[in-house]
Amino acid sequence: MVQNRNKLIELIIGNLSNVVVYELLGISIDDEIIRGYYSKELKVSLDKAKSYRGQINPLYSPLPDKDIVYIKDKIIKKVKAELQLRMSKGYGNIDLSLVEGIVDSTLKDMKIV
Amino acid sequence: MDQVYIPKRRMGFEIGTYVVVKPLQEKVQTVTPFFYNINFLEPIKVEIINQIFKNISSNISRYDNIIITGSFLEKGFSFNDMDVLLISKEKIEKEYLEQLLENKIGIKVHIIVMSNKTLLKGISTDPLYRTMLSKCVSIKRFVYRVKPEINYKILDLHLLKSKLLVENFDFLTGREKYEMVRNAVAIALFIEGKQVNKSKVDERINTLFGKSMDKNLRDNIIIEKKEFLNKYEKFYKDLSSGILSSIKNGSK
Repeated sequence: MVQNRNKLIELIIGNLSNVVVYELLGISIDDEIIRGYYSKELKVSLDKAKSYRGQINPLYSPLPDKDIVYIKDKIIKKVKAELQLRMSKGYGNIDLSLVEGIVDSTLKDMKIV
Repeated sequence: MDQVYIPKRRMGFEIGTYVVVKPLQEKVQTVTPFFYNINFLEPIKVEIINQIFKNISSNISRYDNIIITGSFLEKGFSFNDMDVLLISKEKIEKEYLEQLLENKIGIKVHIIVMSNKTLLKGISTDPLYRTMLSKCVSIKRFVYRVKPEINYKILDLHLLKSKLLVENFDFLTGREKYEMVRNAVAIALFIEGKQVNKSKVDERINTLFGKSMDKNLRDNIIIEKKEFLNKYEKFYKDLSSGILSSIKNGSK
């Protein structure tokens, strides 16, 4: 069902955006304890995204180009907005140039690209 | 010398560990669970909990505690799985144990393994731990007197999960919606220095978003969707701004 597919794609985008935000915040911080929290939350969001991905065909090969472009663009926009908000509130060491690379590798792991 | 054969896949002891060989027929151990903030629990659930405790105890050699929490302890049988916190420093094959329990009891079991140190750290910094453990059953007496430690960066990362409620509202299940609202409300209570437990969180959800909203969220019946989302967005925005401003002002 197309409606169901679109719904799953939106759920994947939301959770993968959080994955990338957690990953970048983890990279930016020296505090081992907080970094541990980021990686724990990253895993929770990644597992959720994987369970949604597991409901979209094709399961073991990349999604159609149209979906890839939509998902990637939306994740990058959401991640940058979240990180910029935090940078303006005093979060330091956040490297926005890493966003696209991390989004790419995350999408690859999820067999979306 | 007599030899004892044991399965290759085993838990609780490594190659070379000294063991005691005992007869299979042993005196049946009785387990008396400790109940925390539970007024009523169906007898069949008590029996299931006892089974869980017995099975884990016979498979894991050393643990500090076993704690049952989550929707299994709510009245009725609308739970999806059983949440089990296994407090242990040992390396445990979680998936194997989950499967073993599921096969024996017929209920999906979700085990979270953590050390006592991690548990105490979680209780002091993560409001959800407090909510989760405010209602539980444990095999050993469970007392925590941990001073809350407000770390705004940790609260910020916890709150981010609840942001997805607005954008994914139409696609989420009732349980997911309730969990996201509960997470945000527990964080608000934690910052305010209020008691964080399930009933207090539900009480605040109903004060903020409308009568019986905790139940309506779980049942996925939100009649005034627009009104609810407006209120939630404002609540989330205020809470998030407060947390981020505290980070900016140099709080931990």
